[in-house]
Amino acid sequence: MTGMLPPGFRIQRETNTEEFFINMGPQHPSTHGALRLALRMDGETIVELVPHFGYIHRGMEKQAESMSYLQYIALSDRQDYLTAIQNNLGVVIALEKGMNIGVPEKAEYIRVMLQELGRIASHLVFFACFGGDLGGQTCLLYGFKEREMIHDILEEVTGSRLTTNFFRPGGSRYDVPDTFIPRVKAFLDHMDDTMKDYERFLSKNIIVLERSKGIGILSKEDAIAYGCSGPVLRASGVNFDVRRANPYSIYDSFDFEVPVTYNGDCYDRYTVRIAEIHESMKILRQCIDRFPTEGPWRAKEKPVRLPVGRYYSEIETAKGLYATYVVAATTGEKPYRIHTRGPSFPHIAALNKMVQGHKISDLVTILATLDPVIPEIDR
Amino acid sequence: MGIINYAPKILDPIPGGKYVVNAIDYVVNWARANSIWPLTYGTSCCAIEMMSSSMARYDIARFGSEVFRSSPRQADLFILAGTITRRMAPAIQMLWEQIPGPKYAIAMGACTISGGPFIYDNYSVVRGAQNLIPVDVFVPGCPPRPEALFHGLLTLREKILKETCRNPWQVGEPKDVSTMDRYREAAKTWAALEEMKDEEMAEARAKFKEENPDYKSSFKPIRIKKEDFPEVERVPFKRMGLTQSDIYAKLKEKFPAVTVHTHSEDPVEDVVAAMPADRPLEVMVTPEDYLPMVEFIKNDASLKMDYLIDIVGIDYDDHFDVVSQFRSMEHGHKLFLCLQLKKDFSIPEEQRATALLAHAPSISHLYPAAEFKEREVYDMFGIDFVGHPDQRRIFLDDDFVGYPLRKDFTHPEMIRRPV
Ligand code: SF4
Repeated sequence: MTGMLPPGFRIQRETNTEEFFINMGPQHPSTHGALRLALRMDGETIVELVPHFGYIHRGMEKQAESMSYLQYIALSDRQDYLTAIQNNLGVVIALEKGMNIGVPEKAEYIRVMLQELGRIASHLVFFACFGGDLGGQTCLLYGFKEREMIHDILEEVTGSRLTTNFFRPGGSRYDVPDTFIPRVKAFLDHMDDTMKDYERFLSKNIIVLERSKGIGILSKEDAIAYGCSGPVLRASGVNFDVRRANPYSIYDSFDFEVPVTYNGDCYDRYTVRIAEIHESMKILRQCIDRFPTEGPWRAKEKPVRLPVGRYYSEIETAKGLYATYVVAATTGEKPYRIHTRGPSFPHIAALNKMVQGHKISDLVTILATLDPVIPEIDR
Repeated sequence: MGIINYAPKILDPIPGGKYVVNAIDYVVNWARANSIWPLTYGTSCCAIEMMSSSMARYDIARFGSEVFRSSPRQADLFILAGTITRRMAPAIQMLWEQIPGPKYAIAMGACTISGGPFIYDNYSVVRGAQNLIPVDVFVPGCPPRPEALFHGLLTLREKILKETCRNPWQVGEPKDVSTMDRYREAAKTWAALEEMKDEEMAEARAKFKEENPDYKSSFKPIRIKKEDFPEVERVPFKRMGLTQSDIYAKLKEKFPAVTVHTHSEDPVEDVVAAMPADRPLEVMVTPEDYLPMVEFIKNDASLKMDYLIDIVGIDYDDHFDVVSQFRSMEHGHKLFLCLQLKKDFSIPEEQRATALLAHAPSISHLYPAAEFKEREVYDMFGIDFVGHPDQRRIFLDDDFVGYPLRKDFTHPEMIRRPV
């Protein structure tokens, strides 16, 4: 088709078949939220894809300008709600840089443990949705089953299941209860067994293999050029994990591996995430062994006022690189501007590259393995 | 709907007919109230709690609602899970119209009740789903727990059970409620009540004292001791790759005009050298230098900034800052380029709010990642990226007036935070 194309479509090509356009979303069960994809099809093959955002654009950054820094921590929960506890840390680290305060050892351990629990919870949702999108409803039920255990722990510690709003500059809001460590231990023991089940479900399943191997290949160069991060980048063969590349908190004192695979297809993105669950469990076990029972659980409380300047923090959430950029133009409690870089945005930007030439049913698989959270794209 | 509603008209005149009508009611209600099929719809955080409630632990199947339908034509119940934005609102109304009656709606979460966390200073969130579609049950919470959703579901069930052939289901109308007024009013009423209560208490206390003049309370107030926490020294995170001074020297050599924004009197080199290890170097670039510099840092072997983290816009009184953040995948160092763009004040004042006030070179041919980021900056600040292949609004509708992240932006629907 040549000539006029709808906005966003760019490929000019000659065909002797008729092309047509399909709209997917904003309300569609496998777009993981309010995302709209405009597809240009040749038969059942996707020629080009244009994502349309903004269906859940909530104007957080504008709102943050009239909020205090502490209130923004609560908003960060609502960006990527699957990794809410990790987003909290991202914001808090930026604030700590500005306030120039440190964190006592016990608080660091609490942070790392909750981070890893959050990571497992998020990857379990990925597992559930990946299975569900491929038609295996069983996975949906299983993934959410273990996730509830993590939510029990989170609820006990933070008081909330999903929107945790837990960390504060210098530590966290509360100390962890005495039951925290035994519970995490029990969860890990349980998880060891269940992971075997999980891998049996999907890793060797012939339907999964057929539908995900060689599908949606993202080359190493493209992955870097498009700004992908997290498991998507690592599945394309780039060994980049902020926990290793730019260690924050006390991550450099743990012994864990960064799983990397080299094909860049859907199956690799799946295996990377499963391997990451194992690594997170490894970190958690080390934390349990070394968890300090004594000592303060937070630093001295100070009013959250940042001196003039610009502060940047980055952390690795379950989805990838989560960066917070705070601009303080006057010393005070309110930011001049806060910007969040969520990991899902670049992934959807790279989606067009991945789906070209694939069938429309593969789009669902590819989108599931990108594991996007739309409110974090739109903010 | 349907033939059943004529049953009372036909059967009631017949002796004993009303028992038949009652029996029909019983059967129909039993069926309807025990299998409410929700629509698979969710925009944000609340949707996850809705999903949790249909999974193994909470098991919504106990209430007959486990069949989440992806097509509105097969659904009975619209669970409005998640924030509703102005852009999504037409889609929601369309979905509602596609659901065949009798249909019900549950507004789940603070966002769909009043706007929730996004009620103030917000230009894009619809404050309350009842403005769009008629809502039967409101479930408060942010997000509501699955149990709360079940409570909402059971409340809806009670409502359904009250429907009979004599009192059939009718489609409701959306209500135009201005949320803010309700809040202010409620706050006023609340304060008045509190005052009344205080007066009553004072009266009662006075009366008690009169009656028992020599009563002595044995109650002693307890003060919870505040825990004392130590001050902790901050340990900067490890530095990776080149130091800030090295990067700065490299840039300075090639582009003598670069500087670092600083408030201190010291020479720039000292300021850069004194930066903590985990603070990325941020240099000021002139618009002429911008493109060559990006090309330079991308291709230079020792810098090799091949990864674009983000592009951030900042609005000041007379200029915009566009901060492009780069990192080197190979070495691990970061560099932020702060491009200062003077606002074009030759545009008449009344047109400024809707005009593109500045122009910057686009770097999307060097970094594909920049394409969407630049669209975001364009959408939010009204900065024109020259050479951008597809410059359209990204988050807002094409007919949206103004650029929201500018400091002087106003929107007719924006409610300011009460101070
Ligand atoms: S009510 Fe709270 S949890 Fe629910 S969608 Fe709104 S912000 Fe998210």
